[in-house]
Amino acid sequence: MNNRSAPAHFWRWFDPRHHQPGTWAFILNRVTALGLTLYLALHLVALSQLAMGPQAYDNFIVLAKTPVIKVGEMLVIAAGLIHGLNGIRIALSSFGIGVRNQKQIFAGLMAVAAIGIFIFAFSIFGGA
Amino acid sequence: MIGESSKPKLREGVWLWLLKIIGGLLVFVVLGIHFVINHLVAPGGLLSYQDVINYYKVPIVPIMEIGFLIFVVSHCFLGLRSILLDLNPSDRFLNWIDGILLVGGIGACIYGAWLIILLTSRGA
Repeated sequence: MNNRSAPAHFWRWFDPRHHQPGTWAFILNRVTALGLTLYLALHLVALSQLAMGPQAYDNFIVLAKTPVIKVGEMLVIAAGLIHGLNGIRIALSSFGIGVRNQKQIFAGLMAVAAIGIFIFAFSIFGGA
Repeated sequence: MIGESSKPKLREGVWLWLLKIIGGLLVFVVLGIHFVINHLVAPGGLLSYQDVINYYKVPIVPIMEIGFLIFVVSHCFLGLRSILLDLNPSDRFLNWIDGILLVGGIGACIYGAWLIILLTSRGA
């Protein structure tokens, strides 16, 4: 697998013929990783408003309560739950735990992620 | 992938791989604490400048946040390196990638630590 050329590797991600549960887990892990990296960068840049004093930060918080940012936050939470819970499976398997039952563990963890995403969606959009 | 255990990549090495796994677990734990404090302990969350300054007055908080920053940034940059390794870079290109990730990662940690120390000192 590692001696393929870079473009062949890249397009392989979008090839549905390889999509077994392991491939889905891999794609989800990668896509959420890139999304969370983007979030980390935005988060660090946005919090520089704190250094500029109370007025700058409180203005930023007003912006953060707009619907577009809330949808973005929802994506971050979904990505974090999927990446974090799938990561538990990867960490366990690194130490030889649950290696044979990974499909079931993956399905169970993704069910937990779905419930978590639903709860957060309700608290962000459903509540006050 | 599924059906076999997770292993270090060919050019990743055991220590970076282990750091990535353990860093990931630490991020999971600290992110949990971060969420509980921000949304359950502080009513309504830390939604103003003054709330944030008050939060950093608790002595354990700056230490926890600096630790959290280092775990997240290192896990993130090691993960980026894993993704780039899948694109099968040449050794020369990998050296460039390593240099850029190292400078970027250390830069992000220094900037974040500076911000945390600044906010802590404003509350003191």
